[in-house]
Amino acid sequence: MTGPVAISEQGRGQSHALEIADVSKRFSVAGRRVQALSHIRLAVDDGEFVSIVGASGCGKSTLLRLVLGLDTDYDGDIRVDGHRVERPGLDRSIVFQEHRLLPWLNVEANVAAALRQSGLGAAERGELVRDHLHLVGLDQFAKAYPAQLSGGMAQRVAIARALVTKPRFLLLDEPLGALDALTRLRLQDELQRIVRHEGTTAVLVTHDVDEAVYLGDRIVIMHPHPGRIATILPVTDAVSRDRSDPNFIRLRDEVLSWLGVSRTGIDADAELARRSA
Amino acid sequence: MAAGLSATQTGPGDSTAGAAPVRRGNFPAAGILLLGLVVPLGLLTAWTVAALLGHLPEQILPPPWIVLDTLLDGIQDGSLLSSTMTSLERVAEGFAAGAAVGLVFGTAVGLSKTLREFVDPLFLALSQVPTLGWMPIVILIVGIDEGLKIIVIGWSAFIPVVLNTSQGVRDVPEAYVELGRVLSFSRWSKLTMIVLPSAVPSIFTGLREGLANGWQTLVAVELIASFEGLGYLMAYGRQLFQLELVLSAMIVVGLIGLVIHGLLTLAENRLQRWRPETSR
Repeated sequence: MTGPVAISEQGRGQSHALEIADVSKRFSVAGRRVQALSHIRLAVDDGEFVSIVGASGCGKSTLLRLVLGLDTDYDGDIRVDGHRVERPGLDRSIVFQEHRLLPWLNVEANVAAALRQSGLGAAERGELVRDHLHLVGLDQFAKAYPAQLSGGMAQRVAIARALVTKPRFLLLDEPLGALDALTRLRLQDELQRIVRHEGTTAVLVTHDVDEAVYLGDRIVIMHPHPGRIATILPVTDAVSRDRSDPNFIRLRDEVLSWLGVSRTGIDADAELARRSA
Repeated sequence: MAAGLSATQTGPGDSTAGAAPVRRGNFPAAGILLLGLVVPLGLLTAWTVAALLGHLPEQILPPPWIVLDTLLDGIQDGSLLSSTMTSLERVAEGFAAGAAVGLVFGTAVGLSKTLREFVDPLFLALSQVPTLGWMPIVILIVGIDEGLKIIVIGWSAFIPVVLNTSQGVRDVPEAYVELGRVLSFSRWSKLTMIVLPSAVPSIFTGLREGLANGWQTLVAVELIASFEGLGYLMAYGRQLFQLELVLSAMIVVGLIGLVIHGLLTLAENRLQRWRPETSR
């Protein structure tokens, strides 16, 4: 009975789960000032999956570093539940492009490392680690060392490590960018399943447009020099999560054209007609 | 036909697959040992032949069998054994003290830029002075008893341990440091989970150098201020022109060095089990 009220209140509430309010960031590179981010405004709601796409140098990874709290030297505000982010915290997890597993710890210990500051007891930690290794399908590899894993497996461990703290936000910095195409497709499915299962709010930075459309509820398109948001496209329910669906392809092409990639010589609709024929 | 073909194909494949781990697992260890014996055995042969043919005056280089006799005598009457124990004890105490303080100091200097700026120039200058150069001053302060040996050996082990440890701590990959921040690691977690494991190879380089320094210093300090120990044995043998005594003490020092080096490598490999075998 109170459920719907609570939900609608949350929907209308003035503070979003994550709010990036007019954020600008300048770097000093070799004595020259470089505007990395310019007036970024973005609000992310609970349970949402937001994809950020853009060419390299558009500041999308910088934005994630700011949300993580690794860098607090910027203009504007980044707020979680209305509170400004001052430092890294276990409520925000990240998966980097490289797995960043500690090579001297086995898989289990790498995942458990994220729980060191959690204050949980040993038994509880062990259970969480087991659960999350199971979630990414690596129960059998708990005792393996990172050097013994394939790239895809190592990245799954990194995902387990990021989720084991039950974070409010999962930040993904081109997490599948270094993997081969087949592994990437497989892990995209898995990422989708895992994030839904955990109910985590996710922000994915990628330069893979297919990935952005496939995983995102909204797609934030960024332009470089200075890094800024060009537009935000909703991924409507009409766009089923099927990579060869016409709506999917249409949205993908729209994103591509926002990124300045023209589909030389081929009209999108003609292409679709050809494919369905 | 097809079965026969596949059998002949898998046959040699299996045998090579079976042979490879054997070669990798057992042969190199034994092989390296054997290869390492080639040069010493060659030298020993040349020495023996030269001695047999009378090319070497006994006063300059006594023949190997006399050295062996001296060695066995020394073991039998216990004099070599007690000298060895005395020296081992000095090196163990000096090295343990120098390495322990060096590890702590090196880690602190590696972690703190401020501390580094404070102590680096002075430390670099001090470490350039040969250990023997310190001895007159240390003798004036602590005398020529056991304290002197332990301090001087400890100092000579301390320097490489500090230099290598602080370098290893400074060379921790930035990506791992950042990971520690993301996981909200405490200083202690950062040190034990990231910094020290990452610095293990450098630390062991320092320990190895420190140990070698310790042995060299031991011999030097015993030459000057001692009436027992392997270094003293060498000094004594030289004064009496008993080179077989000098040589047998040298052999013991060398063998102990080999054993300790092997133990350190064992410990390092154990700490670095995670490394793929090919890179060890």
